[in-house]
Amino acid sequence: MAGAFKRAGGRVRVRLSPQEAAVLRNLPDQLRGVLTAEQLPGGQPDPVTARLFPPAYRDAGDREREEEYHTLVHDDLLNARLANLDLMAGSLARGSVSMRRWTVDLSEEEAMAWLGVLNDLRLALGVRLGIEEDFDGRVDESDPSAPAMNLLAYLGWLEELLVETLSA
Amino acid sequence: MSTTAPVRERTEEHDEITDPDIPWIVIVWNDPINLMSYVVFVFQKLFGYSKEKATGLMLDVHHKGKAVVSSGPREKAEFDVFRLHGHGLWATMQKDR
Repeated sequence: MAGAFKRAGGRVRVRLSPQEAAVLRNLPDQLRGVLTAEQLPGGQPDPVTARLFPPAYRDAGDREREEEYHTLVHDDLLNARLANLDLMAGSLARGSVSMRRWTVDLSEEEAMAWLGVLNDLRLALGVRLGIEEDFDGRVDESDPSAPAMNLLAYLGWLEELLVETLSA
Repeated sequence: MSTTAPVRERTEEHDEITDPDIPWIVIVWNDPINLMSYVVFVFQKLFGYSKEKATGLMLDVHHKGKAVVSSGPREKAEFDVFRLHGHGLWATMQKDR
């Protein structure tokens, strides 16, 4: 498990178990669905959208400016997130398994896209799970939301390693 | 913020980064999901801050609930908020007062 990411020349090499790669492969499309729907199935506004596209202005007196900001940036923010999803999905499809390890080499742009997607996925999961206290990665296995909590913990572990690799 | 890694003690104060003559400040608020290391990475990437300065600001967000991360005219503040939102940070802007 240790060292999922490693710099290799100008690229970032990802090495995961085939099971981990299989988990990740499902995620970009799920997040794409949430981002493009912007509503819950009942037609209610989706709190995940509110978290990923938050207001810039908090003061009630700045409401007009807030509307202007939202109009100005929403599509750019959404398209940047969708482009990250495309880059991550593309590299996940490109990876190959050898000696029971799944491997792919990422360009710098793809590595940054992975970082963005991992973070967006965790923010979305955090909202869905109603997490309001700092999450330390410990999961109560008797909790019905334990599978999603474990996914959140796994993605946090992976993101931490990627940040470390990109910061080095 | 999420603590998956040990954090060093802060070594300097970072409260005085706003110029009193400049009217808008950008605030990043604490949230339970963003990783401390990720927040430091984003501050360095977006603002070119040193690791020490970025870490100090992150610790202010974590311990005090928020930190002023940049300031300037409204257009600049809005651009900074936009970039922070693009990286999943919970940022707002307001007139300095």
